[in-house]
Amino acid sequence: MLSFGGYEGGFAGADVRIDELRSKLRRWVSRKLLLPIVVLLLLLWIGSGIYVVGPGEVGVVLHFGREIAIAQPGLNFRLPWPIQRHEIVDVQRVRSAEIGYRSSVRGGSFTQRVSEEALMLTGDENIVEVQLFVQYIVQDPSKYLFRARDPESTLRAAAEVALRSIVGRNTIDYTMTEGREDVQAQVRVYLQRLLDDYQTGLLATAVQLLVVDAPDQVRNAFHDVVRAWEDRERLTQEAEGYREDVIPRARGEAHQIIQAAEAYREQRVLRAMGEAARFSAVLREYQLAPDVTRERLYLETMERVLPKAEKFILSGDSGVVPFLPLRSLGMAADEPERGSGR
Amino acid sequence: MRKTILPLVVFVVAIGIALVMQAAYIVNERQQAIVLQFGEHVRTVQTPGLYFKIPFIQNVFYTESRILLADGRPEEYLTLDKKRLLVDHISRWRIVDPLVYYQRLRTEEVAVARLQQVIASQLREEIARHEFITVIREEREAIMENVARASRPAIAEFGIELLDVRIKRLDLPSEVQESVFARMEAERNRIALRYRAEGEEAARQIRAQADKEREIILATAQEQAERIRGEGDARATAIYAAAYGEDPEFYAFLRRLEAYERILGDGATLVLDAESDLLRFLESTK
Repeated sequence: MLSFGGYEGGFAGADVRIDELRSKLRRWVSRKLLLPIVVLLLLLWIGSGIYVVGPGEVGVVLHFGREIAIAQPGLNFRLPWPIQRHEIVDVQRVRSAEIGYRSSVRGGSFTQRVSEEALMLTGDENIVEVQLFVQYIVQDPSKYLFRARDPESTLRAAAEVALRSIVGRNTIDYTMTEGREDVQAQVRVYLQRLLDDYQTGLLATAVQLLVVDAPDQVRNAFHDVVRAWEDRERLTQEAEGYREDVIPRARGEAHQIIQAAEAYREQRVLRAMGEAARFSAVLREYQLAPDVTRERLYLETMERVLPKAEKFILSGDSGVVPFLPLRSLGMAADEPERGSGR
Repeated sequence: MRKTILPLVVFVVAIGIALVMQAAYIVNERQQAIVLQFGEHVRTVQTPGLYFKIPFIQNVFYTESRILLADGRPEEYLTLDKKRLLVDHISRWRIVDPLVYYQRLRTEEVAVARLQQVIASQLREEIARHEFITVIREEREAIMENVARASRPAIAEFGIELLDVRIKRLDLPSEVQESVFARMEAERNRIALRYRAEGEEAARQIRAQADKEREIILATAQEQAERIRGEGDARATAIYAAAYGEDPEFYAFLRRLEAYERILGDGATLVLDAESDLLRFLESTK
């Protein structure tokens, strides 16, 4: 009987045949199956050393707690526990950290500002709000696992250290405008130096300043500066516009004045030539018969002139003292008409 | 016989396993260990692997071997020029002597508290030696170096190596912050005013310039125009003079006739002598 026999005593009185059957079965099992079971368990134990390293992952094998090998993606074997163990690190997944804000888990369009992280002093004693986005990968799995505890929070702290010291070295205007790229690059270099120093095994692949802005309390004043700058440009442009409107018009006007003067000159000259020609022609004819022509011209003119004018005729023989009522001449408009009828 | 041997074997094997379990211990990559025998130090294990000790009599205590981060709470410090600063620092440390560490501190909380104490007092001294502006600007790293160097001996007594101290946040106390904001606003307003005034300046300059140019263009044109007119007048005069010079008397006659036609228009009143050349035949044919 096996050691299990201890139970048998209890059942002995009940049914001997079943009891015998059982013990037969047990003997059979124990003799024929004990070894295979042991072997099977042994195989299972050894088989527990088979593990899979996924694509983009790296396995680290520990032999009695000491790192002995790095396993590449695929099917791998190590000695079973407790002799060897393995740990798997994803070395291709790009991880990210957010400084100064937290994006919502869903979507990501909405972000929540974290003021105590975002606000920082600049080198000219101003305060600026900066939001930093860091992407990183695990570069050295064994350092990542064994050299620094909690590399992720170390990275966060290091990113804050780097960001704030670089921003603290520069002025607010430089950081917000033309120096933004430069600050970003410097933060990246500084951060990587800290990550290496701290043996985190992490590599910062991207460091991006998402927001560099004035704090809420003074944002309006900063925006007003931008508006003022635009105003300056606008005023200048408007004045340029005025100039571009005025000058061509003036040039046009000047051209007009000169053309008018030229027209006057030509007109004067041509008219003079015409009149001179006319005079010369008349003179030629006049010289052929001066007296007659003179008389004729005189009378023709008088014929044209006199009908339109008031006329008083004084006879030389009448002996009347010529009295001309000069005053009434203008007043009595119709009186001379009668006189003219005489 | 088999009845009694098998349980015995099982028992012995079980005892054996238990003994081995008690005797063997694994120190992994993340750990270091000390072995104590009734509280007395036997050995320190700082490389990972499988080790053995005397079961039950000797005990193993594990500590961290990785680099650890201590993140303090922000505290106020005074600079040389008596300005207050809110500084939040982080420090990196590592247990180098697990025995001393175990004897003096035992837990990480205690260790971190001690660490912060030492660093904070060094930081206070160091910051008090610098002006506010140099703390925030150039000398941040130098100050941290000094603090770390000064703190190291005190911290080494706990079996801890201080790797470095860094300023994480360096802010102004909230009351001071308000006045900084006020100053920033004033500064921005100044810049905005300057931009607008500069715009006005440029605009006026350009407009005045344009007006001037226009006047010059027009005046030049006028001048030229007068010159041209004069030329026309001169040429006309010359032509007239040349023509009329042929017979000035006849010209005077003709020109007078023409003038009469113009002068004696409607409404003119003429008093004529009946003896005049024009009317001399009016009363007699002689």
